[in-house]
Amino acid sequence: MPRMVQARDEAPVYRLEGVQKRYGDGEAAVMALRGVDLTVARGELIILLGPSGSGKSTLLNILGGLDRPTAGHAFSGDLDLATASDADITRFRRQHVGFVFQFYNLIASLTAEENVELVTEVADDPMGAAEALALVGLENRREHFPAQLSGGEQQRVAIARAIAKRPHVLLCDEPTGALDVATGIRVLETIVRANEELGTTTLLITHNADIASIGDRVIRFADGGIRGIDINTSRARAGDLHW
Amino acid sequence: MKLALPKLDRKLLRDIGRMKMQMAAVSAVLACGVVLAVMANGMYDSLEAARDAYYDEYRMADMAAGVVRAPLGVLQQLEDIPGVRAFEARVSGVGLLDMPGRSEPVSARLVSLPQGRAPRVNDLVLRAGRMPAAARDNEVLVNEAFAEANHLEPGATLAALIYGRRREVTITGIASSPEFVFAVAPGAMLPEPERFGVLWMNREALGRAFDMDGAFNDLVLRLEPGASQPVVARDIDRLLERHGGRGAYGRDRMMSARFMADELSSLKTMAGVLPPFFLLVAAFLLNVSLSRLVATERSNIGLLKSFGYGNGSIALHYAKFALVFGVLGGIIGAIGGRAVGEFVAGVYANVYQIPDLGFNAGAGVYFNAILITLVAALAGSVQAVRSAVNLPPAAALAPPAPTGFGHTGGIIDRFTARLDGKSRMVARRILRFPRRSATTVVGIAMATALMVTTQHFPLSMDRIVGVTFGVAQRMDVMLAFSDAADDSILRDVAHLPGVLRVEPLRTAEVVFEAGSRRERNSISGVPEGATLNRLLDSDLVAVQPRRDGLTLSQNLADKLAVGPGDIVRLTATDGHRASVELPVVAIVKPYLAASSYIEIETLGRLLREPGRVTAAHLLLDRRQREAFSARAKQLPRIVSVSYLDNARESMRELLEQGSGFFNGMFIFFSSLMAAGVAFSSARVTLAEQERDLATLRVLGFGRREASYVLLAEIGALLLIALPVGAVLGRWLSAWLMAQFQTDLFTFPYVTSAVAYARPALFVAVAVMAAALLVRRGVDRLDLVGVLKSRD
Repeated sequence: MPRMVQARDEAPVYRLEGVQKRYGDGEAAVMALRGVDLTVARGELIILLGPSGSGKSTLLNILGGLDRPTAGHAFSGDLDLATASDADITRFRRQHVGFVFQFYNLIASLTAEENVELVTEVADDPMGAAEALALVGLENRREHFPAQLSGGEQQRVAIARAIAKRPHVLLCDEPTGALDVATGIRVLETIVRANEELGTTTLLITHNADIASIGDRVIRFADGGIRGIDINTSRARAGDLHW
Repeated sequence: MKLALPKLDRKLLRDIGRMKMQMAAVSAVLACGVVLAVMANGMYDSLEAARDAYYDEYRMADMAAGVVRAPLGVLQQLEDIPGVRAFEARVSGVGLLDMPGRSEPVSARLVSLPQGRAPRVNDLVLRAGRMPAAARDNEVLVNEAFAEANHLEPGATLAALIYGRRREVTITGIASSPEFVFAVAPGAMLPEPERFGVLWMNREALGRAFDMDGAFNDLVLRLEPGASQPVVARDIDRLLERHGGRGAYGRDRMMSARFMADELSSLKTMAGVLPPFFLLVAAFLLNVSLSRLVATERSNIGLLKSFGYGNGSIALHYAKFALVFGVLGGIIGAIGGRAVGEFVAGVYANVYQIPDLGFNAGAGVYFNAILITLVAALAGSVQAVRSAVNLPPAAALAPPAPTGFGHTGGIIDRFTARLDGKSRMVARRILRFPRRSATTVVGIAMATALMVTTQHFPLSMDRIVGVTFGVAQRMDVMLAFSDAADDSILRDVAHLPGVLRVEPLRTAEVVFEAGSRRERNSISGVPEGATLNRLLDSDLVAVQPRRDGLTLSQNLADKLAVGPGDIVRLTATDGHRASVELPVVAIVKPYLAASSYIEIETLGRLLREPGRVTAAHLLLDRRQREAFSARAKQLPRIVSVSYLDNARESMRELLEQGSGFFNGMFIFFSSLMAAGVAFSSARVTLAEQERDLATLRVLGFGRREASYVLLAEIGALLLIALPVGAVLGRWLSAWLMAQFQTDLFTFPYVTSAVAYARPALFVAVAVMAAALLVRRGVDRLDLVGVLKSRD
């Protein structure tokens, strides 16, 4: 176990045992995950690297309760995401998980602040929408609708929306994929800031190996399984990245 | 062998395969319109053709003239009148029948049959049995409706009371005649086949009974094609004047022909008004569905254009969607319309004694219905086709700009600020897409309006029956006398068992003239302060007959183009043919066929025949009904005894013919319309909101909460649509009632809370059922797939 992880927390956020995911049946079946074992500690920032189809998104979806394993166990605390009821999974998402996607998926008919409020209205212990937007540096864009914001700004609103509920985990699926370098770095800085200041366990998928250095650990995926885990003894600053 | 379908058409078929639910919704609404068009137009054509064929084949009279007693010698001069093709000089009159097993008197019109040949005018169809033998003076034919209602078969015997003399007659056959498609008793408004029949008997026998040996009192004639009816009428009137001619008239004053004309005109109204409703809504639906299709196919359209497909083939491609929907709706509607038409024809065949009345819609009816359906479908596709054509290829290949929402400022922002996030999404979408929201609202409102309207017709009929037989007419019995009887008969009537009160009525056929307008109609002389038969205005206030002038019904006043204060010339068609000028003093709007009224003694004086009555209204001690019936039959001048409760039943039956079926059909069709609109609208909302709904789910909202966004939008539009539909329905009901007004009926606009509550409930259920069907899509959302895809 890496030193830093043990120092941060004792109980892991996720414990995965032999997680498999198969899509389809018979000859058409595709194994997206072929038995993944993984433990994620509280407060970690993990980068998932790998080519398309290597299984990293499938894993992220399982961790976020958007998909279920076809075999194995995926525990978050006492909840086994493989067997929990739909209602429990919905509650899990609502209380503990924040998602950020490549396409920001903001609700076009709601302003930046209202998009965040959508979450804070139903979360147990949320921060204020204004606070969340300040955290991503958009305190002046609260009244703007998505169509009135740039791509980077929209993605930061999406991050504010994801962290406003103070989730235990923040799951980011290629959050910079649709952005230029400067904007992408700005978005990564926001994610790192949430991880550091709020202690939110963060898993971030990317194709971009240059980004790997900002994480505590880098998990390399290939062919539905983990092919290696690198531990960064010191995390790079997002602002120092180039690609 | 593989079908060599152009690639674009293969795409069309696959796309349609994916849109089959939307296609079902649009085609169902189109089909409703086609069903109504095929049924109403087909029924109109069938009824008109059956009537015309019947009239033609059995030589329905073009004109008729009554006369007191004209010698047969007059007929020679009749032959010289230009324009007369054929005539039949008949003896006809009204008598009472004594039916075995029925205490209440039944009336019959007795009509003579020429000896040894078929009538040249108003021929008969022998439906059963045989014609009366020439030598037998106690054999009769009876009309089919009467025979059916009273279960009479050839061989049965009846007693006819003619001028108080009793004659036993034997039924030899059952017949129909174009003259009596409807047989209506004198003084009655409606056919009562159980209590009024037609008897045909040999001329000699009937001539003796009515004291018409060597004479006639009823002339019916057919005209040469192109002959002028007014000119012939003038010649006949001149010829019959010295013999007590009552004035020649055309089919417009023949009761049976008027009924037919009324029915045809309401079918025409139905065919003109109702189908467009459905076609309009279907066009709206198609517009919404195809616009959405073009929006989702944006990049495909760009690709096709970049491959070199021209605007023409792109336009044709999307127009073909509309054509497929239209053809499908048209075919289903044509099949359904035929089935409904056949059912309705069955109802008509029950009411109308017309041979070969079936549903025989010609190819033109189907062709036209399908054609207007295709036109409606194409009209609905115009906007979508145009936007596909106008899309520049480069822009089409780039992703669409995100839907722009902005602050609208003012009251709307303040309103949405008070909502929770999900409701705010709903409210802003409705306001952001006002045209589409309006389409949904209008569609649901039109369905509601249609249903509200169908709920109003039974109310109107109830009111007509209730008012006519409860408020206006409060007698128990109406007696009609042969010709105008001396009012001393009232004393005899008063002495009949059980009679508590007697009020006289005097009616006369007259010609009204005002300026160049001329109308033959009847005038009723009513005593002042009459309580048993009151003249009511449309607000149900009793109107007293006046001595100083005429009270006209609105429709007669309209025909004469006169109002209060105007002078009308009134000429009696028989007796002394008195002619006087009178002012119009009041206009009334009764529900039932109406004409004109004046105080009874004034009428007698004007006609120079004082002290005559044609009918009497009685209040009866119900316990003595049997005794009264038995004695009334023996009074020589009574030709008809009708009980109000029977008349009420007959009227209700007539008005309700097929109305349950129509009511059910309209509720079904309007529910289908509402559901179709809601379904299409919800489908588009789901398609457009897929990403938002998936986002909500990922953010931790449950299915129910995500579904709320979809259902609340439809629900909100429903709540807006219902009051709009109620207002529209109220207006449409009143307008349609006016359209259906005929010479015989005025449909009052009567309303009740139920007439709105029931449609609101049906529409709400249909809308929410459709929305719930679409809502299942929320459960099936592929959260990850949606969120990771670009729009």
